[in-house]
Amino acid sequence: MREDDQHDLELHRRLSARDREAFVELYRRYGRSAYGVALRVTSQEVIAQEVVQDAFLALWRAPEAFDAARGAFRSFFLSLVHHRAVDAVRREERLRKRTERASNLEPVTGEDPAEDVVEDAYLRVRRKEVRAALSTLPAEQRRVLDMAYFGGMTQARIAEQLGIPLGTVKTRTLAAMRKLRAALQEG
Amino acid sequence: MRLTEDHEQLEELLAGYALLALSGEDAARADRILTEHVPGCARCRRTLADYRTLAGELALAAAPVDPPDTALAHIHRAMDDVPLAGRRPRRGTLIALAASIVALVAMGGLSLVLGGRLNEAQTQAGTALEIVSAMRSPGAQPVHVEPQGDLPPDSGVVEVSAPDIRRLYLAGDAFPEATPGRAYQLWLGSDGTWAAVGDQFWPDDGVILLEVVVDVARYDAIWITEEPIGTVPQDPSTDGRTWRALLPSTG
Repeated sequence: MREDDQHDLELHRRLSARDREAFVELYRRYGRSAYGVALRVTSQEVIAQEVVQDAFLALWRAPEAFDAARGAFRSFFLSLVHHRAVDAVRREERLRKRTERASNLEPVTGEDPAEDVVEDAYLRVRRKEVRAALSTLPAEQRRVLDMAYFGGMTQARIAEQLGIPLGTVKTRTLAAMRKLRAALQEG
Repeated sequence: MRLTEDHEQLEELLAGYALLALSGEDAARADRILTEHVPGCARCRRTLADYRTLAGELALAAAPVDPPDTALAHIHRAMDDVPLAGRRPRRGTLIALAASIVALVAMGGLSLVLGGRLNEAQTQAGTALEIVSAMRSPGAQPVHVEPQGDLPPDSGVVEVSAPDIRRLYLAGDAFPEATPGRAYQLWLGSDGTWAAVGDQFWPDDGVILLEVVVDVARYDAIWITEEPIGTVPQDPSTDGRTWRALLPSTG
């Protein structure tokens, strides 16, 4: 386990004991990433703020939802934020308005967040690893993954949008996930 | 069909599930394998865990953005009023708000007892006025959300919304405690597709008050279910207590 993951575990343990300082440190570590993905998925600042606030409050309210045996806190929490962001856009039925944007999702490879936002070094490193892994995917696999993950679209909707069979979307998604899994698996 | 082919299909489903990208038959099938197959299959458990982890890591592909400066302070304020799992919300706040709202609601001719899950904004008088305003809005139609199964009839709740306010209020005064380890979740349905709305909630001595920012006009049904604390499945769970009602058409 990475040293930073262990530190997260310690922060989570303290948070579970209602330690507000630990909560604030977790916010400082993951608030930017959480807001970044929420903003990317929802495309709306107000909704993204609600998503992030709700996610942190859910963490405070029910810290036992995180099970360290299932993986790193970082993955758990950012997954929670992503889930809520997708729920929010589907709820608000903004998918139709966002279709054009979802079809032209901006590439993330090459972005250097360090230029604009200060974040912990280990997150910067992991972010580069994730982006590098994504950049190795064939364009058609990357596209269905982006539409699902950042577009908040179902596979059926993606198939409709791209005019390809649902089975093809599933196959491309699985291929992409397998490659990413292999590339990002931590020893 | 050979086992390896079966697992190829299962992995395809699990990948879509982890990305929240399933719908229709695929979502129903995923729910089935998650309860009937995955718990007893080490390979699928590992696959699901890996894909869930991956779904969290993918968030890092988005550029990090500084949240607004006021965000943390706002969260801190809300933390003081959010009920913790297994703990009760601050009773004094509930009583004060319930009293003010009931007085205002009585003026509208509809008697509701309000209380329950609150955040700071909801403790303000403005919120009470919004509720009254919702009930007086053109087209407002309070809906009785009926308990299902063996639940007592008086455990039902009232849903109040109106076409022009994009908010939903839910109130009840005989709501049972959630099963240990579970919380209540509100769902709204449209043509048989359900979406979880708002945070999980708990009653306070049987009293609930929920305010959710949502355009109710887009939905045709409402459902309250019990879900494991901290997790919301893609579809409502039917193995716990439930309350349901059809919403009136506002078209």
